[in-house]
Amino acid sequence: MALIIPIIILIIWGILTTYTGLIPSYLIPSPYAVLQAFENLITNGTLLTDTVSTLIRVFLGFMVAALVAIPLGILIGWFKIADDLSGFIIGILRPIPPIAWIPFAILWFGVGLGSAIFIIFLGSVFPILINTIDGVKRTDKVYIESAYTMGASQLQTLRKVVVPAALPNIITGLKVGIGIGLMCTVAAEMIGSDNGLGYLIFTSTSMLDTASAIVAMLVIGVIGLAFDYLFTRTERKINW
Amino acid sequence: MSFQLKNVSKTFKNQDKELKVVKDINLTVDDGEFLCLLGPSGSGKTTILRMMAGLDFPTNGEITENGGPVSGPSPGRGFVFQQYSLFPWRNVLDNVAFGLEVKGMETQERYENARNYIKMVGLTEFENSYPHELSGGMKQRVAIARALANDPQALLMDEPFAALDVQTRHNLQEELVKIWQEELQTIIFVTHNVDEAVYLADRVVVLSRLPGEIINTFRVEIERVRDRASTEFVDLKKEITDVLGY
Repeated sequence: MALIIPIIILIIWGILTTYTGLIPSYLIPSPYAVLQAFENLITNGTLLTDTVSTLIRVFLGFMVAALVAIPLGILIGWFKIADDLSGFIIGILRPIPPIAWIPFAILWFGVGLGSAIFIIFLGSVFPILINTIDGVKRTDKVYIESAYTMGASQLQTLRKVVVPAALPNIITGLKVGIGIGLMCTVAAEMIGSDNGLGYLIFTSTSMLDTASAIVAMLVIGVIGLAFDYLFTRTERKINW
Repeated sequence: MSFQLKNVSKTFKNQDKELKVVKDINLTVDDGEFLCLLGPSGSGKTTILRMMAGLDFPTNGEITENGGPVSGPSPGRGFVFQQYSLFPWRNVLDNVAFGLEVKGMETQERYENARNYIKMVGLTEFENSYPHELSGGMKQRVAIARALANDPQALLMDEPFAALDVQTRHNLQEELVKIWQEELQTIIFVTHNVDEAVYLADRVVVLSRLPGEIINTFRVEIERVRDRASTEFVDLKKEITDVLGY
């Protein structure tokens, strides 16, 4: 079922670009040209290297984001004072597009991997943070009170009750976070990278090789879909 | 464990509104006593129980246990909630062993302990089940075992059987009396059900509608196991129902 619409799009795309020639190939390459570009990128090995290097960057940025956002989110969700102190600053920082940080990324982390990780981190960190805070705050009071009446300390209650109770929300945050991190790859790879799917997109576009750009776009889409599938499965498993 | 409540009142403040839910409660609960707090819904009876547990604090007056002030929750005062309160990410065994785990008991020893209490409530075959796999009655059985596993001196129960069907409720009441007779803890049991109170309690304390005040106290002298069809049971039920004004 899910394939019906993509197939229709493919047919219309093919008709418009190949058979009728209504749309010139420099505006939208034909499906066949994309397929050729795909074959080409596979045989010369660029696609694999680019995919792997993008995955590494996304994974590193996402990991740092998770390591920062989960503990911070637990703290903010649990201690009202931390919530009061951080609400305003999070509210201001969150809407700033990661791409706007590029100059500072270069100044702080130089040209290269550090900057790329920083940009992806900025994309991932807020969804994870917000969902963790939310999960901690929503923890059913009866679980917390049960823990206290069984002699648990505050720290034990946090570790053994609040964190597991918030886990479904944390997973949701991770899912959204890695998706947005992936969306930041083009921006991240504009700074000093010489490989990656984002890099492939803007270099091939600048050489009017739009077919290769579409290949890279589709690969990013497929990776995103795979992450989404994995996290959604985990979400279903631990849904309480 | 004995409890003493002296002139206990509780007022909840919500923005600009004040709501007095408990008013001038004076009550002594003896060690080993089975006491029911009976009242219509919204009579502050849950609030009284929560204050005895150390989950809420009186606005006025004081509550003592064995002569010392109640300053917060303690595993010595086990609590069974009206809502299902088992941790959904833990199986029955790990739920029951929770209190022992936070006390730092070794895995082997705490599982052994927990299994005794799981057996006491008749759920040995379900020790590896998760809460969502259990019926309502089974969940409350586990909740009782979980409180008992900490070897409390008192058990505070907040309408634990209210959501159960009559048959399950009667079974659990019977089992609770047995457990109480074997373990001899003090039990304070909140309910709005006259039948339940008369079946369970040594003494029934009847509360008024908000703000909850004690309007009467009944001693239940009927021998256990109590027969619901006996004249004395039926008569006492009627007498208490009249006082409640249902």
